[in-house]
Amino acid sequence: MSVASASTEKKKRGWFKEEFGNPERRTAYYMVLPSLLIILIVAFFPILYGFVLSLTDSTISGFGSFVGLENYVEMFQDTDFLEGLSNTVIFTVASVTLEFFIGLGIALAINRAFRGRGLVRAAVLVPWAFPTVIAAVMWRLMFQNQVGIIQYAADTLGIISEPILSSRTLLLMGAILVDVWKTTPFVALLLLAGLQVIPAEVYEAARVDGANWMQRFFRITLPLLKGAILVAVLFRTLDAYRVYDLFWVMGNRELASLSTYVYEGVRISQLQFGPGNAAAVFIFVTAFLIALFFIRVLGMRTSVEEE
Amino acid sequence: MTERSEGSGASAGRKLNRRDFLKMGGAGLAGAALLGTAGCGGGGSGSGKIIFTMGPDADGSIAKLVNKFNKEKISKLEAVHREMPASSNAYYDKLRTEFQAGTSDISVVGVDVIWPKQFAPQNWIMDLSDRFPASAQKEFIPVTISVAEYEDGVFAVPWCSCPDAGLLYYRKDLLDDSGIPSPPETWSELEEMALQVSKEAGVQNGFVFQGSNYEGGVCNALEYIWTHGGDVIDDDENVVIDSPEAAAGLATYNRMIESGAAPEAVANWTETESSANFYNGDSVFIRYWPSLYGGFGDTETTKIKPEQIGIAPIPVDKPGNPTYSCLGGWQMAIYANTEIEEDAWKFIEFMTSEESMRERVIIGGYDPSRKALYDDPEIAKATPVVKLAKDVLLKNVKSRPVTEYYGDMSLEMAEQFNSALKGDISPEEAVKTLQESLSQIMEEAQ
Repeated sequence: MSVASASTEKKKRGWFKEEFGNPERRTAYYMVLPSLLIILIVAFFPILYGFVLSLTDSTISGFGSFVGLENYVEMFQDTDFLEGLSNTVIFTVASVTLEFFIGLGIALAINRAFRGRGLVRAAVLVPWAFPTVIAAVMWRLMFQNQVGIIQYAADTLGIISEPILSSRTLLLMGAILVDVWKTTPFVALLLLAGLQVIPAEVYEAARVDGANWMQRFFRITLPLLKGAILVAVLFRTLDAYRVYDLFWVMGNRELASLSTYVYEGVRISQLQFGPGNAAAVFIFVTAFLIALFFIRVLGMRTSVEEE
Repeated sequence: MTERSEGSGASAGRKLNRRDFLKMGGAGLAGAALLGTAGCGGGGSGSGKIIFTMGPDADGSIAKLVNKFNKEKISKLEAVHREMPASSNAYYDKLRTEFQAGTSDISVVGVDVIWPKQFAPQNWIMDLSDRFPASAQKEFIPVTISVAEYEDGVFAVPWCSCPDAGLLYYRKDLLDDSGIPSPPETWSELEEMALQVSKEAGVQNGFVFQGSNYEGGVCNALEYIWTHGGDVIDDDENVVIDSPEAAAGLATYNRMIESGAAPEAVANWTETESSANFYNGDSVFIRYWPSLYGGFGDTETTKIKPEQIGIAPIPVDKPGNPTYSCLGGWQMAIYANTEIEEDAWKFIEFMTSEESMRERVIIGGYDPSRKALYDDPEIAKATPVVKLAKDVLLKNVKSRPVTEYYGDMSLEMAEQFNSALKGDISPEEAVKTLQESLSQIMEEAQ
């Protein structure tokens, strides 16, 4: 143990010399430098610029003067923003939860070898392959009151008495439904990949020890699946949090989300540019915090070495 | 780590080759990147054609006129129609993106009537007053000129359809069957007739219109407000929407659904859904733009024939009150940064000439902006709307309250009108909220 600690000490002190002194390591850094620069320019700079813009009263016609946090205050007092925030949070929680449970079920079901398994796996992916905009238009037609099959069925069954596309609550539920339809396959396949890594011997040993399926599921499957679960849930959470095209196309301006608020402020309106910008920074910061939460608190593995 | 020792231990030639390769590779990539950016920067300015943007050319009239312009070689450059989205909002978005960037190859822009007053302050379209003097302006319907004015200049030439105006279409045959001799004059009459005739004729809906949360919804609701005596802004640009008249207008708007004359779903219908419903024969009355008329007689669009259709002005609140139709329609403007100003103007001159306008009106069933064409018998025969709605189109069309920040105002109005229509808020709440938000917008605009 002392040898290891001594070597790590030496490593920390000589890290710089070791990295840049070695010609091969130095070459490696040079090779990474172009893509690093591109990422800085393409990704970092716009984010920084957006942040700076959100602290001014600029509009699309020109750069304005510094106003501090005024845009953020205006944003938090805007009912449209609060509506978008609540819609987005409800949408994220509901759709990710549903997708996780249904996806896990699908993954467990198609994990066993059966005839036609390859075909089933490919078929399961079909909704995921649709562009979101096409799916949104397609489902909107199904919810529409003149030609929509879902509106017709709901009216006949008597569970809905108003046009679905006119009610913000029903629209949100519809959007959750469409998102679950569309991305459950994605979650299912991620979890399936995680399931396949679990060696069969573990289950055999458990069976020999007399464990029933519930114990096998909760004590073997879930813990060993933790990595894949966290990856799938993080991806889906961040994607759902940033939802825009589904809400905009299906709701036709009736359904608000954080991203549609940004769009309306920055692209349609002329005076709401500041709050729209502030909302964009808000989305970035909170999404970042969500990702951080998953990695630090829930212990998601980001590379092979950390364990 | 054995690899490293192998690498340094092997012949020096191998390591140098790898280094050289990396150096050459890096230089090659950098060179390619530079070439790429240079190539991208070059294109985009001036393509040698007069690019004319407009929505889809459903009836082929634009294609015909553009071909004629090119064949007669009126300008040394060829004109080409660049199709834009059918939705006015989406088209506006696209234009805004291009114009903001400052480098667009568009020369002639087909503009919605509410755009000149928004584009002109941003210097995106040119002042055409020197080419389009007052003497030429007199030939057009006055309201179509006033919407294109900003600060002392005129920024667009009215085209067609312009003025687009809200009209009340009705199934004359169904009204005759029910023994009703003439169309409704007031909103209450419309409500009664819609309920009565739809029941007697077994038709699904009595009255349909465009009530969704978008620009068309604003047009619909404004007609109710205006015919009840209210208004959004007055001549001095004060916001006056918080009035009992405006609230009464919105109350009537809401009552159309409440009474059952119109289906609940109109609150999310746009032109597409409402026209499809009427063309299908599922409605007795519809409030729509003049372009609906072209569909009757075209068996692919609808089985309803023109003889079955009647047109009436928008109903009013009390008999004898003036009627108002919301002004819509399309005009032509020149993009401010275009390099081919002369040719662009030649194209506009051609397209808005009496002859070309006549042709487009006859093919597509639009209404012209030139006053003289309203007395033309051939046009009256080809597009009965011109004859049936002549008074409305010439005199009773009113423009929306367009200001520099109309985008924001429209967003507010669309949402409040839609909520009032659905009954989510009362008309008084709607007008009060609008009074606040619109005043705020007008203040910020100063």
